Amino acid sequence: MAQRLKEVDVVVIGVGMVGSILAKELAAAGYKVVGLERGSTRFTVPEFQSPGIHDELRFDVRKALMQDNTREPVTFRNNTSQTGLPVRRWESFLPGTGLGGSMVHWNGQTFRFQANDFELATRTRERYGKGFLDPDLTIQDWGVTYDELEPYYDRFEYLLGTSGKAGNLKGQIQQGGDPHESPRSRDYPTPPQKEHYSGALFRKAASSLGYHPFPQPSSNLSQPYTNPEGLKMNTCVFCGFCERYACEHYAKSTPQTFILPVLLANSNFELRTGCQVQRINLDSTKKRATGVTYIDNAGRELEQPASLVITSLFAINNIRMLLLSGIGKPYDPSTGKGVVGRNYAYQTMSTVASFFDEDVIINPFMASGASGTMINDYAGDNFDHSGLGFIGGAFIGAVNTNGRPIQYHPTPPGTPAWGKGWKEAVVKHYNHTVMFSLHGSSTSQKQNYADLDPTYKDAWGQPLLRITFDFPKNDLKMAEYVTARGVEIGKAMGAKQVVGSPRKGPYTTQIYQTTHNTGGTVMGNDPSTSVVNRYLQSWDVPNVFVIGASAYPQNASWNPTGTLGALTYWVADALKNKYLKNPGHLVST
Amino acid sequence: MKHLLATLILLGASAAQGATPPPEAATCQACHGAHGEGVVDGDKPRLAGQSAFYLDKQLRDFASGARDNAIMSAIAKGLNDQTRAKLAAYYAALPVPAALEHRAPTAAQAERGHQLAIEGAEGKRVQACNNCHGPDGSGVALSAPALAGQLAPYLAAQLKSWQQGSRKNDAGNLMSSVASRLDDADIAAVTAYYASLE
Repeated sequence: MAQRLKEVDVVVIGVGMVGSILAKELAAAGYKVVGLERGSTRFTVPEFQSPGIHDELRFDVRKALMQDNTREPVTFRNNTSQTGLPVRRWESFLPGTGLGGSMVHWNGQTFRFQANDFELATRTRERYGKGFLDPDLTIQDWGVTYDELEPYYDRFEYLLGTSGKAGNLKGQIQQGGDPHESPRSRDYPTPPQKEHYSGALFRKAASSLGYHPFPQPSSNLSQPYTNPEGLKMNTCVFCGFCERYACEHYAKSTPQTFILPVLLANSNFELRTGCQVQRINLDSTKKRATGVTYIDNAGRELEQPASLVITSLFAINNIRMLLLSGIGKPYDPSTGKGVVGRNYAYQTMSTVASFFDEDVIINPFMASGASGTMINDYAGDNFDHSGLGFIGGAFIGAVNTNGRPIQYHPTPPGTPAWGKGWKEAVVKHYNHTVMFSLHGSSTSQKQNYADLDPTYKDAWGQPLLRITFDFPKNDLKMAEYVTARGVEIGKAMGAKQVVGSPRKGPYTTQIYQTTHNTGGTVMGNDPSTSVVNRYLQSWDVPNVFVIGASAYPQNASWNPTGTLGALTYWVADALKNKYLKNPGHLVST
Repeated sequence: MKHLLATLILLGASAAQGATPPPEAATCQACHGAHGEGVVDGDKPRLAGQSAFYLDKQLRDFASGARDNAIMSAIAKGLNDQTRAKLAAYYAALPVPAALEHRAPTAAQAERGHQLAIEGAEGKRVQACNNCHGPDGSGVALSAPALAGQLAPYLAAQLKSWQQGSRKNDAGNLMSSVASRLDDADIAAVTAYYASLE
């Protein structure tokens, strides 16, 4: 029998980026907030300090910062004819755990989506006609527009101190920025990071082909910055240990640098770590949450009553929390009915490797996770798709995030996989290769979804999440087309050999691609095709808000974090200005 | 580690430089000691064993005015690029002298200094000095200077200069960010700690 704790105003499940921002906003507004984090506390000092934090074997190969999949894996299959099996070793995507969440190990690539992305279904129909889309695709509008989110993007970027160059200031195109971006109200808080040599080569080549290169927006900061919370951050030193690692320098924006010290100093907030939330509890009507039940590190079962429950977990864990709690109707791919787990999507990542002679010195180890140079000319709907047979696109960029010794060793096709020949090729190419990232959009389709696994359970006896996913044909066509454009840029750089690797199916969990899992609790204006309304409030249980990239109806051509930050502040305002003044449905059904 | 460090320092020095000081070193010796050991009660640092890259950059910065010091600027302006590089290589190749006589850190200073060096201070948002300055402050050849065995008064004077903005010849204002968050007791502790290291 669970011990019942004293009721609070708000319980936040997961104290990562979303949880810490919302908890801070609500605690500052006077509400009693409890944050439940399954992992442990960790701070820049002492946990993230050198030399321990640069242990590539521990963090990169063995994934020390990730969700413990000996206790809590997911199961995976490509389609419903297969049996899902547990992923016991993270490779394709890397959900984090612990205070600060997955953002602790991010790369700092901080994008906005474009206006078109939020109204993708409508605008695609308008531009290309009704019959253009593959009928399997289930893309839809978000229920919120770019213009509505713009002030919140701005707020998030200023919280982080993001380093970049505006390309469109209130409709005025800015030289050197991204001319395709939707209008922003002001420039980035700090100037772009320095360009590395591979970026310079890319910029010249892309310009020569008539494209519009610009510096990648980075939350590894280009200069010291004090954010609106009064927290000071430092300049990035280009050590090349961002993604999969934590930053030792207070230079990569994470909850530890931009919000946690302020949150933890607020007596309205209580952090509890080592708390594995089992479910959100509902009353007998199933239309109201009464709080949550969790198991702490001592194995005790505790019930935390609360008036408002915010689930701010990593995307796939948000889906699972709703399914374990019986909130919302689970999606059934055979009928197309139900919503929870529907529209699970990902990111379609391709690469281009450009091999140079030994007189071109790249120094790939001098890098931050987001110090690239890139173009958006083939991202989103920035090019005409008529006759191409697909929608979406990818940003193409020379994004050298690292040159770490164990994992970074580009070699051309035909190189032996091991032995003397492999070693010689690694030595020959390590410092003379430019890698492009082609960061592609991901459409949602009927066959891709997530549900509870019928067989496998976690260490607490709860069913695992089962992901059923393969790349939509649309996205593989997109990858093929955009990779060909990337190869052209590689050739224009003057590389000796250019190798394009468009993403191919079937999707596998055994090769790293990206940690941009989206969908499954999608937002929208229609309860029959969305789990939450435009304020990320559950249609079924209005005192539950579900916030994460799980809300994206499909994924765009950019990293999802910037948009999630904007949505977080959008929800914070809706909670403070609307919901908490008059709890109930913010959108009538 | 010491072996590796010695190799790195040797690599930093030009092979052409032996133990014989170049004639221009006479000017340096007047203040920095006959063997580049520095002067303990002043602001004249030890040069022996410091990285050639760092020493050369400082001479160029003194010459250009990027680093401000009336005496050093006048001297550095009188040297051409080649001579600066030669002097830097010479001092980089000199053996690190035994620690000069100096005031040993108090037990409290040693503890605080060690903490700031290897771990930092979360409350002040100060990261470990060794993150950039290498294990035990031994320096990183092409970026951050060695701190181990450097003279405490010199290190303290530099931290004050970074704090006050009179020194700013680093990349990204890193040192002013860190120094501005240290108080006088921190500075006394961390400089005494590094000075006491071999």
